[in-house]
Amino acid sequence: MNAEASAPAGKAGAAAAGSDAAPLAALARAQARRRKAQVRAAQAATVVFILGTWEILSRVGVIDPFFFGSPLGIVSRLADWAVHGTAYGSLWLQIWVTIEEAVLGFLVGVVLGVACGVTLGEVPFLADVFAPFIKAVNALPRIVLGSIFIMWLGLGLASKVMLAAVLVFFVVFFNAFQGVRSVDRNFVANARILGATRLQVVRHVVIPSAMTWIIASLHVALGLAIIGAIVGEFLGSQYGLGLVIATAQNTFDANGVFAAMLIIGVLAVSAEAAMEVLEKRLLAWRPPSASDTNVKGI
Amino acid sequence: MAAQAESPGGIEFSNVTKRFVSPTGAVMTAIRDVNLSVKPGEFCAVVGPTGCGKSTTLTLAAGLDRPSAGTVRVSGKPVEGITKGASFVFQTDALLPWKSVLANVALGATFRGLPKKQAYDMARSWLTTVGLSGFEHHYPHQLSGGMRKRVALAAALMNEPTLLLMDEPFSALDVQTRAIMSNELLAMWDKLKPTVLFVTHDLEEAIALADKVAVITAGPGTIKAIFEVDLPRPRGAVQEIRFERRFLELYQQIWEALREEVSRAYSRITAPGAGAAA
Repeated sequence: MNAEASAPAGKAGAAAAGSDAAPLAALARAQARRRKAQVRAAQAATVVFILGTWEILSRVGVIDPFFFGSPLGIVSRLADWAVHGTAYGSLWLQIWVTIEEAVLGFLVGVVLGVACGVTLGEVPFLADVFAPFIKAVNALPRIVLGSIFIMWLGLGLASKVMLAAVLVFFVVFFNAFQGVRSVDRNFVANARILGATRLQVVRHVVIPSAMTWIIASLHVALGLAIIGAIVGEFLGSQYGLGLVIATAQNTFDANGVFAAMLIIGVLAVSAEAAMEVLEKRLLAWRPPSASDTNVKGI
Repeated sequence: MAAQAESPGGIEFSNVTKRFVSPTGAVMTAIRDVNLSVKPGEFCAVVGPTGCGKSTTLTLAAGLDRPSAGTVRVSGKPVEGITKGASFVFQTDALLPWKSVLANVALGATFRGLPKKQAYDMARSWLTTVGLSGFEHHYPHQLSGGMRKRVALAAALMNEPTLLLMDEPFSALDVQTRAIMSNELLAMWDKLKPTVLFVTHDLEEAIALADKVAVITAGPGTIKAIFEVDLPRPRGAVQEIRFERRFLELYQQIWEALREEVSRAYSRITAPGAGAAA
């Protein structure tokens, strides 16, 4: 679509290429398909090789399945959880609790991070006043705040949401702040001359411009939200995948730890995929970058 | 003349000085004692060497900045806050890359609180005027430089400005596109007759377009001389007018004034010590 749109001359060029264009395009597509299939096959082979080796080595006793588990053991543990539930209720409940905590923490952290980042970015006086405090809090290993939150808010949802939100907040905040600071001055000047109020400038110019920066931070933030939820559950909870892992650890159930890890991995990957969809929508206006137009390589 | 300056769009700079002071206390004088008056509906070009504060005159007229001394009046009133009825066309485009072409043109109307439909309808008809119907839903990066400039022009003119401020608007375009855009600018100026303050470093462009040309000295800039361009209007194609005798005479006259400033500015850049001594 871009090629067509960018220059009417492009269309003429394609038409002139005429007779050659169709078979060449078909060839290119076939090549791309073949390459993709090859990559997928190699990836599958890698997985089979690693899991197979792991399984065989644990069967013949080279590695101790008690400490290292085994792929089939992990699968049967997952099946067991799915059918009979975990020690704290059904597996789905544990997954749902963790997702809920992570998502709520993510949303709270993002909203607060963007709001504070934009405000401080727009009002340099506030930024100067708060800069040392924010740096000090940021230097703290924030995971330890989890203990405080559990003391304050108890073993339920709130303490995990809080921890996830704090982790998310700083990443988003710094990016939003930087994004606001790097808005093109011409855009702002133009909007002001066109009659925009300060709020209109923020809404139509500053925030969309900072959005590139904010979105970039959301990928990291999403991972941190999941970490926050799990660590919070580790530190003290009644439900959740973090609790399941902690229990498995305490009973030396290696398969259990791996099984829960696998679930978390699947969650993280799906969340990342959803994030990409969101990114594509929000940044649809961006010109295709060099990395998108590269055909070969990664 | 005072009466003229009071009707909408006239500009009056009297003894305007603008200094920029950095937080460390270093002072940079951009323009000094500038006196310039532009009548309503007049097309005034400002030429001068690089870094002489040409653009500062525009930001002062637009109300984006305040003079350090002297007064700037637009339509007879001293400039306070953003100048009403002014539009600005920047050197690099100020189109918002995250808005469609249509939304970009409608931006001013949206800010003024016009209903969306009405604003978009107006924007659509302006896009047709600049020859870009069919591109409403493209993003700016999908257009060529010349097309983006047309969008910027449509966005600026849709506000029906009484004062059009242009900061080297065509300098980033290739020569042919530039000539086409100049012609179109003249045609639209003829229809709407806003006052135009047009900053450029290209003397040919200045003479071909303007009613008068102000030459600014090497920084700190001040008005060195003002030349009336008495070429008849409509001027026709700007590519051709530059071969006319009167055009060449004017060119020589103004270049005489400009050359000295250009070489002064240049020597300052290449040999800072020598420049300061002179």
